[in-house]
Amino acid sequence: MAGPSSPALDSFAAAVAADGLVAVEGGRTHWEIGGLCPAETRLVRAPAGVRSFDPAEMTVRVGAGTLVEELDAALAEAGQRANLPVAANATVGGVLAVGRDGLHALGRGRLRDALLEAVYASDEGRLVKAGGPTVKNVSGFDLCRLLVGSLGTLGLVGEVVLRTWPRPAAGIWMAGQCAPRELRRRLYWPSSILWDGRTSWVHLEGHEPDVEAEASLARSLGCETVDGPPPLPDFRVPAGALDAQAPDARKPRGRFVVQVGTGTAYVSAPGPAPDPDPAVVVLHRRLKAQFDPRGRLNPGRDPLAAA
Amino acid sequence: MSAAGSSGVGSDDSAPKPALGIDPEALASCVACGLCLPHCPTFRATGEEWASPRGRINAMRQVQDHGAPVDRTFLAAMDTCVQCRGCEPACPSGVPFGSMMEAVQAAAARGGRRGWRRWGFRILGRRRLLNFASRLLAVAQRLRLVPSKRLGLPRIPLAQRRLRASGHDVWLFTGCVMDAWQRSVHAAVKRVVESTGTGVALPGAGGGCCGALSRHAGLEDHARLLAVRTMAALPGDAPILVDSAGCGAALKEYGELLGTPEAEAFSARVSDVHEWLAQHAERLPPPSGSSRPPTVAVHDPCHLRHVQRVHQSVAEVLARYAIVVPLDDDGLCCGAGGAYAAMQPELAASIRARKLSAIERGGADIVASANPGCTIHLANAGVGVRHPLEIVDEVLEYER
Amino acid sequence: MRFPRAKEHDPLVADLKRALAPDRVRSAPLERSIMSRDASIFEGGRAGPVCFPLSTEEVQRCVQTAGRHGRAVVPRGAGTGLAGGAVPLEAPVVVVTTKMNRLLSVDADRRMAWVQPGMINLDLSRAVAAHGLHFAPDPSSQQVCSLGGNVGTNAGGPHCLAHGVTSAHVLAVEVVLMSGEAVVLGDPRGFAPGLDLRGAYVGSEGMLGVTTAVAVRLTPNPPTVQTLLLAFDSVDAAAQTVSAVVADGIVPAAIEMMDNNIIRAVEEFVGAGFPTEAAAVVIAEVDGLPGGVAAEAGRVAELAAARGASVRWAADEQERALLWKGRKSAFGAIARIKPDYYLHDTVVPRTRLAEIMNRVYEIVEDHGLLVMNVFHAGDGNLHPMLLFDRREPGVMARVHAAGAAIIEASLAVGGVLSGEHGIGIEKRDFMPQMFSEDDLDAQARLRRAFDPDEMANPGKVLPLGASCAEVNALGQAPEGVWG
Repeated sequence: MAGPSSPALDSFAAAVAADGLVAVEGGRTHWEIGGLCPAETRLVRAPAGVRSFDPAEMTVRVGAGTLVEELDAALAEAGQRANLPVAANATVGGVLAVGRDGLHALGRGRLRDALLEAVYASDEGRLVKAGGPTVKNVSGFDLCRLLVGSLGTLGLVGEVVLRTWPRPAAGIWMAGQCAPRELRRRLYWPSSILWDGRTSWVHLEGHEPDVEAEASLARSLGCETVDGPPPLPDFRVPAGALDAQAPDARKPRGRFVVQVGTGTAYVSAPGPAPDPDPAVVVLHRRLKAQFDPRGRLNPGRDPLAAA
Repeated sequence: MSAAGSSGVGSDDSAPKPALGIDPEALASCVACGLCLPHCPTFRATGEEWASPRGRINAMRQVQDHGAPVDRTFLAAMDTCVQCRGCEPACPSGVPFGSMMEAVQAAAARGGRRGWRRWGFRILGRRRLLNFASRLLAVAQRLRLVPSKRLGLPRIPLAQRRLRASGHDVWLFTGCVMDAWQRSVHAAVKRVVESTGTGVALPGAGGGCCGALSRHAGLEDHARLLAVRTMAALPGDAPILVDSAGCGAALKEYGELLGTPEAEAFSARVSDVHEWLAQHAERLPPPSGSSRPPTVAVHDPCHLRHVQRVHQSVAEVLARYAIVVPLDDDGLCCGAGGAYAAMQPELAASIRARKLSAIERGGADIVASANPGCTIHLANAGVGVRHPLEIVDEVLEYER
Repeated sequence: MRFPRAKEHDPLVADLKRALAPDRVRSAPLERSIMSRDASIFEGGRAGPVCFPLSTEEVQRCVQTAGRHGRAVVPRGAGTGLAGGAVPLEAPVVVVTTKMNRLLSVDADRRMAWVQPGMINLDLSRAVAAHGLHFAPDPSSQQVCSLGGNVGTNAGGPHCLAHGVTSAHVLAVEVVLMSGEAVVLGDPRGFAPGLDLRGAYVGSEGMLGVTTAVAVRLTPNPPTVQTLLLAFDSVDAAAQTVSAVVADGIVPAAIEMMDNNIIRAVEEFVGAGFPTEAAAVVIAEVDGLPGGVAAEAGRVAELAAARGASVRWAADEQERALLWKGRKSAFGAIARIKPDYYLHDTVVPRTRLAEIMNRVYEIVEDHGLLVMNVFHAGDGNLHPMLLFDRREPGVMARVHAAGAAIIEASLAVGGVLSGEHGIGIEKRDFMPQMFSEDDLDAQARLRRAFDPDEMANPGKVLPLGASCAEVNALGQAPEGVWG
């Protein structure tokens, strides 16, 4: 069959096709993550705007250059949302390329599972479709998962189809001195549990009576209602880096916040990252060589170094 | 049954197309969905497809439909089947696996592959010879001349007290090996049945072996002969109660085996003793409640659960007198399978290992098994196993 | 049926036996022919030696030995796949993981477990039930299918609507690559820096390597569950209700639909109490905390009643189990009507369900076949079952043609080829209807990054010519694959 196409996508692909190093620019909220592109890198922008949204389908097709806030507002009108972290200036494509989960990944699911279909421009400027527009799909290899968190090093995403979810009626943040493990064990489906070494934060959402019941359970564990979550330190590390058995030299210093259930911690001063398994490094190298043999796409960026 | 078997099945370089004599409709009815796999004890023990119902049916098709030879691989796949028929209730397509396997066994027997069993199972039909041989065996055991453990034999009693009839309301089928080796179970069963105010009659001469083992080994002629004898030994209209699940299943299938109206009528009279007691539960004496009831794990014999499908009645009867602990292994076979434990000792032991861990998880004082083969097989692994009605009998005795 | 000739002294078999153990390599013609099929309708398979490793190291040795002999490797779990993904083509070494069936470790606090690939899906949920946890993906074959196979096909199931398919429940996989190297993709805690190799691997149908261990995410058992049986006078009304529920902002734990033909077949088999006169029934299940469950179940019942449904609320766990037993027995129950079935699997946008169902009935009638529909309506995942008797001359051609027409119709309304069974052999040659050459080329690149010589399960998923690989040894779909 013919590839996906629209005038905006075609001109995006044409821009990528032109010679030289090329990177896609979003809201620059995490511009330095995984390394900086050389100065001569040409910057392109993905198409912006919601292309189609059928609330009864609970999927949305949106240009990768769309602001997440704008998408969120469009979906909110139908009482829905996508499972992307909402932040000022961040674009849909940027958030997916960086691959950081939202704060609520524990309850709402991982960012990597939000993406149903992606249309990207390949290193040769061809439009390639990965995945499919339905909520369930196992037609061929799952390239979508590979694109999330790839920092645009395998292809430059122009348009995506995301799964949407109902926006729950109620939600509150609570915090207290109880152990995050205890919160996780006692509460049925908290959307987020954060822990900074002393204080635990928990977010509850859902139907009003359920949130109230869960909140009173959390209160019995020593939590009180608060305005919101703590600010996250800048650097993302595997939560294992904070474990007692992690070697001291690699221990992060300063402030940290563990995002329970995602294996992730945010730290203000990461220690040196452990060397990844050489076999994993080889697979990264081979994937890059297969998808971008000339090394044109987002040069200088390394997903393995994306702290 | 097809008559084509005898020439083709015996040799590896079979000349004409070897027919196994399996009903073609039955053979075509498997859709290979695989839902039987976890319910097959040999698949659970080995994880190998040829040791599963789906694999075995596939192998049967290769031979019957595609002319593959009956070779050692094929026979190994067939002979490792316990014939527990656990696959049958699991099969959404209703594949009659048990009868297909019996057809294969019959074809193998026609091919002359059942030499010693043909001879060995003959003894079962001769009560005096069996009792005499058992007595010899018992003496030999006492003299440590027999490696009982390795052969999977229980401790055989030197002498047994004779059972006496107490009326004509119901028959109690006593069987062959069970009567020779475990007559005390019959005695207990008889007392429990009598406690409902029922008079128990005992079969006359010839009412020995039900023929199940012969049938499973494909020795159909012998099985038919024993069936006719058994029917003659249990005349009249009175219900026939059976306290061995394997024998009960065989008796209930006489109609199918012999294909006569008499056999049909006979089979209709047969009940597992627990099935009958559950139907007459109101006549069972109540427990006094003064003694602590034992905690009992009920092992469902395959022929009660998958063939007769009345295994619930064991728990129903027992629950009046004991705390019944369910096993969490979906009633998977224990590996006894009639003569199976003796024929395939290694597989039988690994199948049993799974059952043993389920029993251990259950944490009961004792295990109840309504089939002598299972009892012997489990007891050999050091498990305390009793017939369910022995347990009931003991509780009742205590109350008296 | 071709039988591979057993070589008396096959050096490959001898080497494999040395690498494993003599009794865990099977090479007799009958043993190979048994392994040449899975639960699909494909018959053209041909297995080479069949290996039963017990450990990662043994899998490595199998793969290395196969590699030394230039032979491809096909991983196989319980063999319940419906797309022919485990059907070996051209006598590869078949690596069966059923003996690797142990639960390696459970971390109840972190809600994860490491399991071997041969562990049965339902056995895992049972093993962790004491912790109040379960493994969410529940394919209809869950009592027999293996977790390695679940990873290979990115398996789904009724309860994947709210909680996601297998990929969302796999934290890490240990994989033996075709180089013989073992590597862990992903991280059992949930975050591994770098590309999501784990995500790329799940659903790769054994074409990137052999799974030797899986770190699974475990889901807490819901405190409240409400199951509803909705009976409708028309398929349209049932389909519209499903769309209406979704549009209402409800994501039930499961919404399953069955049409009249299958209702009657299942009733005869299990007697679940389905109304045999209904044109369609929908099983809707809502789970979670009591407030939400009450509100959403009530709303589902309202939406259904507004479309003329009679609503039955499952009163207790027993009734709920019976309803599900009816649903999950569907695939086999139909064999009481015809000995063979071809179970299809496409996905359409949920709002197009009613339309596509009618189209399926038309197609099947045009081809003179019988169809039964039982499917995951909540995510638009159709499962038309075409019933036939393969002994009937010419029937396979009609079955094939009807299948092709259903695929075409599904794609035409914006659907996809497969929702959960995978592509395998079955839909390999339909891939160009959904993907462009560039799209397929990208998938082939992913494959080559993991398996440059294309030695893992060759001949599946990617249509020939999709890979830039010069010559594909297979030529074309093996003769007899379509019976």
